[in-house]
Amino acid sequence: MKFLKPLLDKCVMCGACMSACSKAWAKKDDPEMSRISVKNVTGLPDIRVCDQCGGCIAVCPTMALQRDKNGVVQIDRQKCTSCLICVGFCPSASMFFHADTDSPFKCVACGICVKACPEGALSVVEQKKEG
Amino acid sequence: MITVNGREIEWRQGMTIQNVLDECGYTYRMIAVWVDGTPYRREHFAATVVPDGSEVQALHMISGG
Amino acid sequence: MEQMKLLAEWKYTPAKVHRGYARQYLSVDLGKKDGVFTCETHPVSDEMIEKFTGGRGFGLRILWDKVTPSSKWNDAENAIIISGGPVCGITQYPGTGKTYSVFLSPLTDQTYNSNAGGYFGPFLKASGFDAFSVSGKAERDVVIYIDGDEGAVRVYEWAPENRNSYFVTEALHDHFSENEDDKRNISVVSSGEAAEHSWWGAMNFSFYDPRRRVARLKQAGRGGGGTVLRDKKIIALVVKKRDFSGKENDPADLASLQKIGAKLHLEIRQNDDTQSLMRKVGTAHLNLVMNDYDLLPVNNFKFGRSEDIHNIDPDAYEKLFTQGYADGCWYGCSMACAKAVDGYEIATGPDKGKKVTVDGPEYETAASLGSNVGIFDPLWTIETNYYADHYALDTISLGTGLAFVCECYELGLINKEHTNGLELKFGAKDDLLELIHRMMDGKDEFAAAVGKGIRKMKEIFSEKYGADRSVMERIGMEGQGLEVSQYRCQESVAQWGGYFLTLKGPQHDEAWVIFMDMVNKQLPTFEDKAEALFYFPNFRLWFSLAGICKLPWNDVEPSDNRIRYRGIEAAKVPEHVQNYLDIYTAVTGKPLSKEEMILQSERVYNYERVFNLRMGKGTREWHNIPDRALGPVFPDEWNVRADYFDGRLREAGIAPEGLPVEEKIVKLLEYRRKEWEKLVDAVYKRRGWNANGVPTLETLKRLGIDFPEVVEVVKPHQ
Repeated sequence: MKFLKPLLDKCVMCGACMSACSKAWAKKDDPEMSRISVKNVTGLPDIRVCDQCGGCIAVCPTMALQRDKNGVVQIDRQKCTSCLICVGFCPSASMFFHADTDSPFKCVACGICVKACPEGALSVVEQKKEG
Repeated sequence: MITVNGREIEWRQGMTIQNVLDECGYTYRMIAVWVDGTPYRREHFAATVVPDGSEVQALHMISGG
Repeated sequence: MEQMKLLAEWKYTPAKVHRGYARQYLSVDLGKKDGVFTCETHPVSDEMIEKFTGGRGFGLRILWDKVTPSSKWNDAENAIIISGGPVCGITQYPGTGKTYSVFLSPLTDQTYNSNAGGYFGPFLKASGFDAFSVSGKAERDVVIYIDGDEGAVRVYEWAPENRNSYFVTEALHDHFSENEDDKRNISVVSSGEAAEHSWWGAMNFSFYDPRRRVARLKQAGRGGGGTVLRDKKIIALVVKKRDFSGKENDPADLASLQKIGAKLHLEIRQNDDTQSLMRKVGTAHLNLVMNDYDLLPVNNFKFGRSEDIHNIDPDAYEKLFTQGYADGCWYGCSMACAKAVDGYEIATGPDKGKKVTVDGPEYETAASLGSNVGIFDPLWTIETNYYADHYALDTISLGTGLAFVCECYELGLINKEHTNGLELKFGAKDDLLELIHRMMDGKDEFAAAVGKGIRKMKEIFSEKYGADRSVMERIGMEGQGLEVSQYRCQESVAQWGGYFLTLKGPQHDEAWVIFMDMVNKQLPTFEDKAEALFYFPNFRLWFSLAGICKLPWNDVEPSDNRIRYRGIEAAKVPEHVQNYLDIYTAVTGKPLSKEEMILQSERVYNYERVFNLRMGKGTREWHNIPDRALGPVFPDEWNVRADYFDGRLREAGIAPEGLPVEEKIVKLLEYRRKEWEKLVDAVYKRRGWNANGVPTLETLKRLGIDFPEVVEVVKPHQ
């Protein structure tokens, strides 16, 4: 299974990842549209990004959330009804939403932010499935 | 004596909020408890002692069908 | 599948929904068994929105014009009007797919309005209609199909081999879909064979469950809507709408809707496990609680608890309900109370041996087809639940009705000869199930009589079987002709009113004030009780105008609710009330205050009252209450809580010492009848009605519903 792994102690909260992500996926440089969220909380980085745990899969009423061949949880926009239950139930609060997009959005471990990060704080990790 | 929702019941040394609820048969899960105006959360019921002469309010949230 | 023959077709241009309204409603008439079908679309005016808001309000308004004061439920002009409301069909907030069906009821001979989930309401609106009225009668069984993408309404003739709900629903999801994925784009409203004889006919509203790969049923169970549907020779109403995005309502402020919805989803996730357990057990979590407070109906409401309760407590049901599925009955419902038993093997009847998914049981069914008939066996409840849904019988009326039958049998008012061989005592699992099966085709005379409801049963049993009418009047739990739902209101004066001072009959969707009154002691005076019986029915009615489910209002509460608010304020869950006001505004773009919300409801509440007056009811004499609802009727009921009832006598200023129990019973009931009259006076006054229960002209003027046709009805009663 592929997932994005942040290293908190390397993060300098520059926002380059959010910029690169939102520009690539939402055609807009806007942290609200980024699939990785980095916030400054009392001087420390609070990073929220999907770790492909799959906790959202069972709560979706239309089964719009499924793992692809890399184990990455993808949203089928055709099936999604934008109900946002996945947002409320994500164990790491890493499912995001915005009125300008048709459905919620999440990290799919594409690696664009990895290249953009000047500190090497991000990497895409391959993890063998358990069992 | 303490009162629970206006009704008098016998007080005992060391009586906790949970004891009070058990004695009144208040097993409902969504109960809000105030002792002399101070609110208490469910997780504190077993550990919170109720003093003699207190006014306890055990308000059951509406629910129902 | 048997051939469907197209009989008529109309094309229309689907109106675009804007700010929650399509501004159009659909009216289909099936003629007078002459094959003359008509289909019209009508505009929804600003005034209609301003005065009636939507949902039940629209249903009543449209029905008023369809019928006359002399119309009967089985006349062609009776209509079933289905409408959601401005908020119906959003997906972001839990419980926003609700619709109301309004019609003249065979049980009450006045208007009834029945609530259901499922996908029909949202799809109907997205197809371009704020409401759908169907009237007239077909000659042979028909299916009416609305295709909301194509813009087409079609009437098909269809004679399926099986007219019962699961069969019809599954077949129609199949027929109108192109593949498995497409099945969830369809919703079916159907009834069943029992509704062709019984006045307890339910309507089942479907939604397709992609995980279980079955169509699930939610019930617009009460009032006999299914009976009206089948009387019109309608097998089903079907709507199809593809690619539902969640933005169909074209809300004024989607961003706010999303924020509020996401907040509630999080709240439910955090709190449900320690609050109502809706996601695990649905409303069946109430069985144990009701038992603990003597509110569980046992043996026709004689008792309030049983030592057998643990057979049917939440743990017992949690084991039977499949856990971890997304069990909302409309998109976005994280309250997810629509539990189901999967892989249940049917033990009796025509579907014996089949492995099925059974919808429920909800609390009402767990108590009605359970404790109220003296049966504490979840598997029996599940089996009867399945057949009640399939044959289409309202489980509440069925359970309370059977409880009445059992008590009549045990009292010797009816016997084995009358019942055609069935020994209908409390707890008679096999014979009661057999009676339900006999109710399907109605051929058995006794079963057909039972299916007409308690009010009619009293008449039939006394005329045909010589049963003592006065005893039956005391124990028959019905009000205005509708059977009482599954809470014992005896010990709560306010809940006497919550059940028996309602518009449509003792259904608990107006007010559930038992804890507030009986336990919290928050309603000490008659004025307090009247205030609660003014506020809560109006507050709850608002959900029926907007298209919203009541469960997420107070079956989950914010963690800080009881810290921020006290007493009755906390019971109203102010943060959630604010959510609803904000959602209404986010969809419609119109501001709404708490006061205006109540005003919207008051308009429809009083309009419905006048409508019932127009149909020959709606005055004080029709607000009947049986003795069993007021207190013990027989010694065994008194003796099981002797100290408690002796205490009640003392409170009433009557010394119990030395009195035989029969006399104590008489005295308590006498006292309580006087209390009842005082309650009625206080409640009518608070509602702005005269002492006869008729809205005053002043009230109608204040609410802006003093239309000429409304004034005409009330004037003679002022």
